Amino acid sequence: MGSADILSTLPELVLIATALLLLVMESAAEPHRELLAATALGGLAIALVTALGYGADGLYYSGMLQVDPYARFVSALALVLAALAIMVAVPYLRRTLEERGEYYSLMLFATVGMLLMVKAQDLTMVFLGLELLSIPLYVLAGFYRHRSSSNEAGLKYLLLGAFAAGFFLFGIALLYGSTGTTSYSGMAQAINSGTELSRVLTLAGFGLLLVGFAFKVALAPFHMYAPDVYEGAPTSMSAFLSTGPKLAGFATLLKLIAVVFAGTMVHWWTAIWILAALTMTVGNLAALRQDSLKRMLAYSSVAHAGYLALAILVTNYDSGFAMLFYLTVYVLTTLAAFGIVSLLEEGEESAMPGVEACKGLARRNPWLAAAFTLALLSLAGFPPTAGFLGKFFLFNATLDAGYLWLVILAVLNSLVSVYYYLRPVVAMYMQPGKNTSALPIPRMLIPALLALAVVALGAGFIPAPLVHATASAISAIL
Amino acid sequence: MADTLYLLVLFPFIGFLVNGLGGRWLSGKQSGLVASLAVAGSFLIGAQLFLGLLARPEDNRRLVQTLFTWLPVGELNIHVTYVFDPLAAIMVLVITGVGLLIHIYSIGYMRDDPGIRRYFAYLNLFTFMMLNLVLSDSLVLLFMGWEGVGLCSYLLIGFWFSDAAKARAGMKAFVVNRIGDAGFLIAMIMIFDRFGTLSMADISWLAPGAGIDTTFITTVTLLMFVGAVGKSAQVPLYVWLPDAMAGPTPVSALIHAATMVTAGVYLVARNSALFALAPITMGIIAAIGTITALLAAIIAITQTDIKKVLAYSTISQLGYMFIALGVGAFSAAIFHLMTHAFFKALLFLGAGSVIHGMGDEQDLRKMGRLRQLMPTTFMTMTIGALAIAGLPGLAGFFSKDEILWSAFNSSGGISWIWLVGLATAGLTAFYMARMLFLTFFGERRWAEGVKPHESPSVMTVPLIILAFLSIVGGYAGVPEALGGHNALHHFLAPLMATFQASGEASQAANHPLELLLMLLSTGVVLVAAYYAYRFFVQQPGLPETAAGKFPQLYRLSNRRFYVDEIYALLIIRPFRALADLLWKWIDVRIIDNLVNLAGRTTERLGGALRLMQSGLIQHYASLLLLGVVFILLAVAMG
Amino acid sequence: MTTALFYLFSIFLLGSALFVVLNRHPVYSVVMLVFSFANLAGIYFLLEAYFIGILQVLVYAGAIMVLFLFVVMLLNVSPERPRARWVPLDRWWFGAVALVFVISLGALLVRGVGQLPSARSEVPDGFGGITQIAEALFSRYLLPFETAALLLTVALVGTVFLAKRKI
Repeated sequence: MGSADILSTLPELVLIATALLLLVMESAAEPHRELLAATALGGLAIALVTALGYGADGLYYSGMLQVDPYARFVSALALVLAALAIMVAVPYLRRTLEERGEYYSLMLFATVGMLLMVKAQDLTMVFLGLELLSIPLYVLAGFYRHRSSSNEAGLKYLLLGAFAAGFFLFGIALLYGSTGTTSYSGMAQAINSGTELSRVLTLAGFGLLLVGFAFKVALAPFHMYAPDVYEGAPTSMSAFLSTGPKLAGFATLLKLIAVVFAGTMVHWWTAIWILAALTMTVGNLAALRQDSLKRMLAYSSVAHAGYLALAILVTNYDSGFAMLFYLTVYVLTTLAAFGIVSLLEEGEESAMPGVEACKGLARRNPWLAAAFTLALLSLAGFPPTAGFLGKFFLFNATLDAGYLWLVILAVLNSLVSVYYYLRPVVAMYMQPGKNTSALPIPRMLIPALLALAVVALGAGFIPAPLVHATASAISAIL
Repeated sequence: MADTLYLLVLFPFIGFLVNGLGGRWLSGKQSGLVASLAVAGSFLIGAQLFLGLLARPEDNRRLVQTLFTWLPVGELNIHVTYVFDPLAAIMVLVITGVGLLIHIYSIGYMRDDPGIRRYFAYLNLFTFMMLNLVLSDSLVLLFMGWEGVGLCSYLLIGFWFSDAAKARAGMKAFVVNRIGDAGFLIAMIMIFDRFGTLSMADISWLAPGAGIDTTFITTVTLLMFVGAVGKSAQVPLYVWLPDAMAGPTPVSALIHAATMVTAGVYLVARNSALFALAPITMGIIAAIGTITALLAAIIAITQTDIKKVLAYSTISQLGYMFIALGVGAFSAAIFHLMTHAFFKALLFLGAGSVIHGMGDEQDLRKMGRLRQLMPTTFMTMTIGALAIAGLPGLAGFFSKDEILWSAFNSSGGISWIWLVGLATAGLTAFYMARMLFLTFFGERRWAEGVKPHESPSVMTVPLIILAFLSIVGGYAGVPEALGGHNALHHFLAPLMATFQASGEASQAANHPLELLLMLLSTGVVLVAAYYAYRFFVQQPGLPETAAGKFPQLYRLSNRRFYVDEIYALLIIRPFRALADLLWKWIDVRIIDNLVNLAGRTTERLGGALRLMQSGLIQHYASLLLLGVVFILLAVAMG
Repeated sequence: MTTALFYLFSIFLLGSALFVVLNRHPVYSVVMLVFSFANLAGIYFLLEAYFIGILQVLVYAGAIMVLFLFVVMLLNVSPERPRARWVPLDRWWFGAVALVFVISLGALLVRGVGQLPSARSEVPDGFGGITQIAEALFSRYLLPFETAALLLTVALVGTVFLAKRKI
């Protein structure tokens, strides 16, 4: 291990140091609570700079990690996402009197997990990254210990997550048994040269890895926890739960397939085909019936996982590019949508605002209503939002690979989805609300809304910068 | 001069922003003024560009403004480009011209509505979207407009949200349109996959080239046509349009008669190069158009709601346009689109004026003898009705006869398309006359306390202008058989592909035959109108009598009536029965139910999924386990 | 000889693991868990991974499970009663799912193992010894080792947060 190795993990080290500092600050005799969020954001900012600017590309820690433009892009996105998630959380936590250093600290640990996952070049690192992402999330989902819904969410997530992690680990074991290694390059070599001991065990191992990923990104039928957990978790956390694991999961899975398993596609394309079809259909149909906004967004996130699975199915340059573009747009819009929902909770009797809560919002807070509309339209894939472009790239790549029926199903699904995305829009603009006073918009929420506007509208009208960024990132692995 | 093209689109958008965001500081009237000014600005620019276009040589009438390159990556090169060519010019003038009149009219009509600012904001947004739809060269931008107008329509139908029925109507329009949109979107992706471009100009240029198989073209055009069927309310996706009448009447006039519903016609005409290569699709288009034209006209006969009569009439007339498209007479379809926009907007606004004057009464059975009380409305609506019926000299006459002549020609003689078209012309005259007579003639049937009055001039002036347009609008395309030059046809010709079985090719020939057919259709129209007069003015009880509902039958013993009676028994009654059957049974039961079923099934499926979401972690784990089994078997056993 | 021992350990291991899940009394369950860990250690020994085997006994069967036992006794957990919510249909369903899973996974493993070469290669000198493991841990697997430590820290933070009665 040399200094180059340490330099390559500088963002992670910065985050870990900040997270530990936050714990110390929290345990001080008179904690300065107002400094906690600022510290966490500062750590993320430094990590972002180091992630983008420091260290050369290459393999580090004896081939455990690989730094390349792809990893840098996804890391940067993950760091921005975490920062915005923290900003969304600040007003929510302060309002509910739950602002604590552990929240931010665990968020940073989870982010470290995400970074390690996408940089990983070895399945052991993938697994450790995955757990480092998951364990803080289990705790954070149950962060509101006095709310039974939050407790339930945390416990459900933990139990099912541990169940899925078991399969993932078993999959690694089978792959090790068959190929004699856990490193990407070693496995790829064994598989492509046919020197693996058993093709069946290799495939079974891959299938079990798929189970682990499918659980994290909530592909049906591994999605069952998602609506319950996202709904029960604190809303500021649901924002991160429905985006962070998807980002890390899809980005890692795409790299894994592209580098290691691309050659065995004939064996697994049917499985992913069916998973994708099932997921988008189940997600959209279930979302149709939801009145709770959080639950609706939860099912919507399941449906989006189904679309994203198309990119995994195809795994070529076009689909990878489409996936990164789609992911970028998806995580930022979903985050903002949850952020807005977390505001709407104020003044509601239950902690779970329904579509009702949107009524008259256009009159109360025109800009907030416009932002929410933008987020929903982008999620629905209305042109000219970036959500439309993402769907277009994705479906086009899928069609190029010859999956016509799947594309037709996806198009039908995305049109069905418009129905539930527009319900809050109609409520906001067409229906009078009981409450007419404007909601105070916390300053901390504004960056999230700006990010939403930039990505959903900006990348919709002027997609070139984002397209260039994602295209150059994806060319590192495909 | 193409530099000002973007202003066309910008003005309504500014209007939308002003009304949408600053509406709270405007009075209702000011808000209407802002909205109208925005559209007026677009109209003036459109007119100026149109004149500039006319000044150019015929083969160079195409103004292009590329605002920016949207996607400059690799094979993707999508520009945001507005194209102003003859087809776009006509659409723009119709949208902004008729739209402007409807905006002005709305100032009076919506005066007392508390949501008037919102209303004008959406109306401007609609205009913006519609202009994007017709001006864009890229299918993506067109699709944006396409979805956008649908969204506005959805918002405007449910404008008076207090009413559950209206909310449901909005929902229905929404669901039906999704089916159409799916077709459009898939067609778009397939086109991009094959041609590598989404510019319609490029596609039109590439399509006739070698190497494109018929199956592909047929599939793509059929999918596009599915989109058109949904948007333009053709069989079997027409059910949403009559329900959409729940919205305010000016909205019906603008969106559900003059502009949005014609987007399907525009789409087919704009991509005529593709469609001309797909004879199977063209046959289907003609057939659907024919069925729709006849079916909707028959249903219109028995409707008692004045707006429903007009709604079915719109569907029927759209069917006419699709007949024209199906036989390859693309420019005739656009011609009819234009004249139809004039007289149908007029009729809707007139109906709105009546409804307004009657204190929100829409039932024809509760009107009558309004002639003297609403003279301007009466005069203008009569002109509109005459125009749509196709009275020689008025707008509808020229466009309708061009379509009938093309239909006649395309098969080289009498065909069922032509026959049905002719019959529909008669039916149109009949139901229009019926509507007029029931509204303005006969006994006064309104309730005590209703004080019908003429509408204010802010509403009647647009009526007068539209009436004027309904008279002169047809002179843009006087056929050569009548000594005209068919100017519109030649104006559009460079853009329109030639379909192999086109009726236009041989149109120049045989002027005497064309004249004869014109006389024939005029005769049919006059006879139909006469019978409407007999039934609804001279003998108002007749249809009911014929149906045997009234014992007065026996008091009427004069011989002439006896003949009528036989006629009524033999023709009117089966007809009524048929119309009832079509409307109550096919329309309400089957198609409505099918649409509802589609909606309900998805909802039920959603419900079943909710049942599975029991919340019990053991259930989740067991499903997870099944998922593992599935993946293992699919991946490793395959 | 080793084959016979392997099957013996395996049967004990699986049997005791099943007992852990199926038994309703937590103390019995913990004791059976200790037993199953001991059998696992036996399998490690058969594989000549002596160091791992010893760790398994010392850390898991010894320290951790004793801790578990203390916790169970301190909490004075009473035997779990059958739950009324479990309708018979559910039992059948879970049984069927478990059966399907076991059969399909078993079939898959049998097929996969059938493809493995039968010749058993000799392990190198010093295999499974402290030196080799230490070398791997502190060179090639340094980062996973450190990350695992971080993971434990995070788990600790989370647990303390959730468990502390008053913060």
